[in-house]
Amino acid sequence: MTVTNRHIRYTLLLVIIGLLVYLALGYGTRSFEAYCPFGGAESLWGLITQGEFTCALGPLNLSIMLALLGLALLSKKSFCGWACPIGLLGELGGKLGGRLWRKRPKVEKRTNGYLKLLRYVILVVVLYFTYHTGELILRGFDPFYLIFSGFGHGSLGWISIAVLGGIVVAALVVPMAFCRYLCPLGAVFDPFSRLGLLKVSRDDSSCTACGMCTQACPHEIGVDEIEVVRHRDCTNCLECVDVCPEDDVLSIRARL
Amino acid sequence: MRVSRFIIPVLVVVALLVGYSLRLAFTQPTTNISYARTGDTIENAQQATFIVEGVKCKGTASFFSSLYEDTPGVIAIETFASEHKAVFTYDPDVIGIEQIKSIMEAPIDFDDGTSEQVFRCLAVE
Ligand code: SF4
Ligand code: SF4
Repeated sequence: MTVTNRHIRYTLLLVIIGLLVYLALGYGTRSFEAYCPFGGAESLWGLITQGEFTCALGPLNLSIMLALLGLALLSKKSFCGWACPIGLLGELGGKLGGRLWRKRPKVEKRTNGYLKLLRYVILVVVLYFTYHTGELILRGFDPFYLIFSGFGHGSLGWISIAVLGGIVVAALVVPMAFCRYLCPLGAVFDPFSRLGLLKVSRDDSSCTACGMCTQACPHEIGVDEIEVVRHRDCTNCLECVDVCPEDDVLSIRARL
Repeated sequence: MRVSRFIIPVLVVVALLVGYSLRLAFTQPTTNISYARTGDTIENAQQATFIVEGVKCKGTASFFSSLYEDTPGVIAIETFASEHKAVFTYDPDVIGIEQIKSIMEAPIDFDDGTSEQVFRCLAVE
């Protein structure tokens, strides 16, 4: 059996989810929240202005965020595709949705572009409220927190259930809907990911233009139309590489 | 330049490990309180680190430290909420680790008449 990139990726994701569940069940000396890289962005203001971390956040959030910004400079949004449980949820939702829909509704390109601006709005709103109150008051809207805490302290009852349900249903309609339109961490990664050194590259001379790569891409990036995937949303998940029927047409290259 | 497909998972794992190790560079105490009193023999002082379930933010860390305000022999307490850690500086001639532990684990009386164990010692280092 050939070990595909997806095998390796799902194995890594399962290990990470296993560790998070272990922490969420109260084993280990830290809360699972201590490992959330977005907490690094949330704690930054408190650290700069008051010299202390916000609420339950701590140095681990910050150090992981900084390391992942470095990762984005090297390998785009690899964290999102290879280590984020919410990314996996969106991806699996997208795959399931693909089976449920006879013809999946397509978000028109321009609308898709506008909707992606929402993640910047959410980034600003979350940071504003966190900095303003010194508390993680928007936990009730955070799918990562809601899932791993089991709708724990700070969740908003039916509102939180509706938020998480909405995110799952949205993924059935638009693959990776949360990551594409709502994830504030994705917004933080964006400028770094654009510069990311390692990119999927296509050898146009051997490509048969079958379009399977574009169909496989969870972010609907038109891989078959470009020679180098510079798109900020590319997670280097390598689904396109796995699916390409031609040898060595798609590869990972270090390119500026 | 073409690179191996294995580079991506390797980079992800390395970044997570680097992030984990780098935390020490940003670690700073959540609270740092000195209860040194006249009579405490500071030269004799020892340190012990407790991993405490319940010390999880500035509020709980301050409350935790306040439990020892009137405890003879406890000279200083430094807490690290993100690590659920409290470092005690104490005078071993006056108080021991077991006594320190029993104070944190004692049930706390609340204003509404209820009483509950708030902190639990998970380990002493
Ligand atoms: S372009 Fe390829 S590597 Fe990038 S997100 Fe799409 S499928 Fe994954
Ligand atoms: S799957 Fe491979 S051959 Fe088909 S369009 Fe994409 S790069 Fe070309």
